[in-house]
Amino acid sequence: MILPPPEPQTRRQLLRGAAARTASAALAAAAAPGAGGVAPASAAVAVPAASATIDRLQRLVRVELLLEYCYRQVLSSTILRPDARRAIAPFEGHVEAHVAALEARLAARGATLPPGPASVSQANRFLARRRVGGRLGHLRGDQDALRLLLSMEQVVIGAHFVALLKLSEPALVELSAQIMATGAQHDAVLRLLLPPHKLGSAAPYGLVQGVQ
Amino acid sequence: MVGDGGGASRRALLGAAAVAGLALSGCGATAAPASTRPAPAVAERDLALLLAALELERRTVAAYVAGLPLLPRALRGTVQQFLSEELEHTGELISLVRSVGGRVPARPNSFQLGHPSDAAGVLALVHELESAQIATYLSTIPQLSPGPVRAAVASILTVDAQHVSLIRLQQGQAPVPSAFVTGAE
Repeated sequence: MILPPPEPQTRRQLLRGAAARTASAALAAAAAPGAGGVAPASAAVAVPAASATIDRLQRLVRVELLLEYCYRQVLSSTILRPDARRAIAPFEGHVEAHVAALEARLAARGATLPPGPASVSQANRFLARRRVGGRLGHLRGDQDALRLLLSMEQVVIGAHFVALLKLSEPALVELSAQIMATGAQHDAVLRLLLPPHKLGSAAPYGLVQGVQ
Repeated sequence: MVGDGGGASRRALLGAAAVAGLALSGCGATAAPASTRPAPAVAERDLALLLAALELERRTVAAYVAGLPLLPRALRGTVQQFLSEELEHTGELISLVRSVGGRVPARPNSFQLGHPSDAAGVLALVHELESAQIATYLSTIPQLSPGPVRAAVASILTVDAQHVSLIRLQQGQAPVPSAFVTGAE
């Protein structure tokens, strides 16, 4: 029998598949003879910490997905002037990589992957909930668009700052710090694209904690 | 130290760094607004990590001070701002060290900074030092506890990452070359 070639899968589909396989494997292990379907005492004790970690990772994924959606919407429109578009074009891929890295950590824990915004109106509701100024579809020029992206980057930086208060697993702490630092770099470039277009105004603070 | 267009000897640069160190002595502890806030408790085992980070920050401060005269006038304002932010970082680290009764070592009289003789050399030097700081913070932060200390140090890391991006721009390089900051950029 000749099977058709597999359809190309998106990164999210691949990760969701991995998450489902991990969850199935965990269930199978629990139901296996000898396992008795009962988690060992040490695992039971670890549940609250693991649950808090999953919750924190899901929060990070949600906010990163919203940022990714904003970049995609802005970059797929004609609102940006060419130099600004060139400067921030790589950032969408960076954020996508952040989402993938965080989702992989969630998948490894057999946790549910949060969905991103399904529509512009839903994304705008999420933006309003996070008190981000500007609404997708109603941006009046490139400065509006850049300010919205800057505000969202600051929300993401803030989310990672809070995550660093809560997370304790070294690999997750390092990942979150790396993403937070990259977000700060995006922040600096976005500031530079806004008036007064000066280097000094691109990194105006000695300590950056984002918006919480 | 050096006139416009003149080359700076290594001795001159190191001397300037030493003088700058003396002139700035104590500023790191008082200049940062963060030092007025109650610092989160630091576990004593973390002291060595924080002191290593402080030594790097002080080295970077010395490099900015020594390199400033070699930079074009248009860039000096920005670099002075970076310098001020690095001083804020030293203040934050000193505050964390002192919060557990740790002793802050005296600032060295001089640092080995190489011998940059022009703006390009200075930018390369501060790029290297800022990157070293990033790499140090990324390896240090996961080892620190409690959470507020990790977050406080991460808020320094973010600014050093911004400095590297803006220095890279001045060097004609992509400001954010990778999705994950590593300190190797």
